[in-house]
Amino acid sequence: MNDTPPFTVPTSLRCAHCGDFCADTSIADGEHLFCCTGCRSVYEILQSRDMCDYYSVDTDAGVSQKGSRRDLAAFDQLDSPAVVAQFTDYSDGKITRARLTLPSMHCASCVWLLEQLHRFDAGVISSRVDLLRRTVEVEYNSSTTSLKSIAILLSSLGYEPLLSREGTERQRDAEQRNTSRGIYLRLGVAGFAAGNVMMISIARYLANGQVMDLSLERLFAMLSIVLSVPVYFYSASPWLRSALASLRRRVVSLDVPVALGITTLFVRSIIDIVSGGGEGFLDSFAGLVFFLLIGKLFQQKAFEAVSFDRTVRSFFPLSVRREQRGTEDIVPIDSIRTGDLMIVRNGEVIPADAVLMSETGYVDYAFVTGESVPVECTSGSMIYAGGKVVGTAVRLTATRPVSQSYLASLWERTSSRTPRVAYGRLSDRFGAWFTVGTLTIAFIGAIIWLPDVSLAMNVCTSVLIIACPCALTLAAPITLGTAMGVLGRFGIFVKNVGVLLELKRVSTIVFDKTGTLSSSLPEAIYSGRSLNDREAEAIRAVASHSSHPYSQSIALSAAPQEHVFGVREVGGKGISGRYLGMDIAIGSGEYMHDVCGAEVVTQSSDTYVAIDGCVAGVYGLRSRIRDDVPSMITQLRALSMRTKLVTGDADRDAEMLRRLFNVDDMTFRAKPAEKVLAVERFQEDGSAVLMVGDGLNDISAMAAADVAIAVTNETSTLAPASDVVMSADRLRDLPSLLRYTVDLSRVIAVSLWFTMAYNVLGLTLALTGLLTPVITAIMMPVSSLLVIGISVVGARVLARRFV
Amino acid sequence: MSVMIMLVICSIITAGGFLVAFLIATKQGQYDDLGTPAVRMLFEDEKTTTIDNQ
Repeated sequence: MNDTPPFTVPTSLRCAHCGDFCADTSIADGEHLFCCTGCRSVYEILQSRDMCDYYSVDTDAGVSQKGSRRDLAAFDQLDSPAVVAQFTDYSDGKITRARLTLPSMHCASCVWLLEQLHRFDAGVISSRVDLLRRTVEVEYNSSTTSLKSIAILLSSLGYEPLLSREGTERQRDAEQRNTSRGIYLRLGVAGFAAGNVMMISIARYLANGQVMDLSLERLFAMLSIVLSVPVYFYSASPWLRSALASLRRRVVSLDVPVALGITTLFVRSIIDIVSGGGEGFLDSFAGLVFFLLIGKLFQQKAFEAVSFDRTVRSFFPLSVRREQRGTEDIVPIDSIRTGDLMIVRNGEVIPADAVLMSETGYVDYAFVTGESVPVECTSGSMIYAGGKVVGTAVRLTATRPVSQSYLASLWERTSSRTPRVAYGRLSDRFGAWFTVGTLTIAFIGAIIWLPDVSLAMNVCTSVLIIACPCALTLAAPITLGTAMGVLGRFGIFVKNVGVLLELKRVSTIVFDKTGTLSSSLPEAIYSGRSLNDREAEAIRAVASHSSHPYSQSIALSAAPQEHVFGVREVGGKGISGRYLGMDIAIGSGEYMHDVCGAEVVTQSSDTYVAIDGCVAGVYGLRSRIRDDVPSMITQLRALSMRTKLVTGDADRDAEMLRRLFNVDDMTFRAKPAEKVLAVERFQEDGSAVLMVGDGLNDISAMAAADVAIAVTNETSTLAPASDVVMSADRLRDLPSLLRYTVDLSRVIAVSLWFTMAYNVLGLTLALTGLLTPVITAIMMPVSSLLVIGISVVGARVLARRFV
Repeated sequence: MSVMIMLVICSIITAGGFLVAFLIATKQGQYDDLGTPAVRMLFEDEKTTTIDNQ
């Protein structure tokens, strides 16, 4: 039988490691294909140790190594004990325990692999992963191995550790951990007490009317009080302390009526029980504190979720190369003093203000000023902290020590943004109004029943008890916290809950172009004499060694190609090298003139390429609008949003954009300062402005807007000054996000109306003296549970529109 | 009735024991990471390299 099997051509080639599409079948190992040599090396490492179970533990295990610039010299800073100390939790000469942050960690396979580090390095004793925080705690023998080799090992497996200031946020992590632990401990005590006191109360309620055995009565009474005391002084202490603190500041925050209600419940119950006047409300009391703590737990979890999702690539360096008395040393940036000579290389960030010692240097200040074109500096000029060196390394003399606060302010502008403040102020104002109202009603109620003192006291305290705004303190945080978590799962990371309320007010949206509406790397379109495959490959190979955005477009963001010889880059001008026997030069017209004497008619952004000394052609750069942008803009218009475009680019793509925006709504060639002015102009008529950008060259404009959304291509890009971070392929969800925030405030409103109804009913009962402990015991937990339920279910169900 | 009193006290003490265990576990940091143990639980045991001698 001659059955020739059908010849199947694979319609798509997927990398065996990371699952991305492979451009061709050139990179392979046996029958497995890979998208890049990086992925193949990781696979080979795993295979050699028989660890290929990595791929079966979870789907999408491998982290794509495409574009990862493996610069082993970056780990040299771990030679310095001072730098290593910043990662070490414990060390006793033989065993050292250190914690590293690995932003690429994302799934069960990562956990599995990273806890088997001892199989790769004999010096590693054990390793433990915290998937949510993306850290690994490694315990190793310091005489056999070092943190540097462990870091290199992790990098070779595709999990490059974050060696920058963000990776050593130990203090913040410790604070968060202590806060969480505090809430759990208080919850444990409150839950224990609530459960037991409620059981005792049920016994009492069931015995209604009939007299229980006296000794049993006394036991139950005593037990209830004993169990409730720690609940008041320990579990409820956050609210008591907060209320006292705010009163001392002459402000009535929302915690004041809560603390008032809790205290009244506690004190009146004890008095009732001890004096024999009643059963007290201790079951409601413990239950109330329990639910309030659950609300606080929600808030804390939402806050932590925001901090964990900052998967950032190194920005602020931990250390810098310093030259002292002829020797180079890597030192932590905190030890730089005025007059120290620093050596900063290509791609590294300048940690302190300095004077340039080298003849020339190119500094990219995109982070500080928003200009994405590197600035040429000459010897003697001032170089500012936060700039990134492009091209050849530079020598700088520091003019002042590193200022933590300045670096921190470059990175974290969200702390001074208005949304959080507005939210707090609103609830404080409400708290004041609410407390005054409650006290007034309680007072009036008492006076009405006055001839009967005990009844008057009853009514007064009942009003204070039932009017406790616990639902208010629960509704908003739980709804918004749940929403933040749900959005995070769809790739939209909200930095704080106040933002969701601000978003609802937005009526004007300003878009940046590069990196937002268009992909951040423009397409390089070639025109000139035709190139054969070898020449095209050679050009891409040489271009891959330059970090200049134009070269990256030509090289299709590939990692630096091997076997390229004689690479010489002139920062901001061009790069040349030799590959496959051809001399390639890529650069501006001026560079062509310098390198091969050619005279070309230049146009600013055109990048020329010369092969073996002759100019072959030119690459024009054109941005490509993302596919889902047109429909998104249409949907935004349907929501009556005014959409505007403000970009620093020239208007060469105006044609394409005219289909999306009105002509007067587009502004081109805007410098960073002009962008800020544009945002302020739109705010003039009182409307709230949302700025959508890539967070790299429009920082000041984002800070000026009411809400700022940063759109990122990779999850590991920085996004300071923004309130929301969205991945680029989620940009089409912007209209859904805006509708969602409107719906969220409706959910909160429903909860609040429900609370109002409950309060009115309760107040009626209280004022007529009919509020018995049994009724309170039922009303309070039920209302709390309903509020929590409405908030969580509402936030989740409404998020179904996000696919 | 004295039996009831004793029973109630005993059950509260037992429950209290569990509370103390919870408090100790929290203080030791067992609840700091709630995500990873769920993942770790699903890993298979490592293949042992020893050969059973029959």
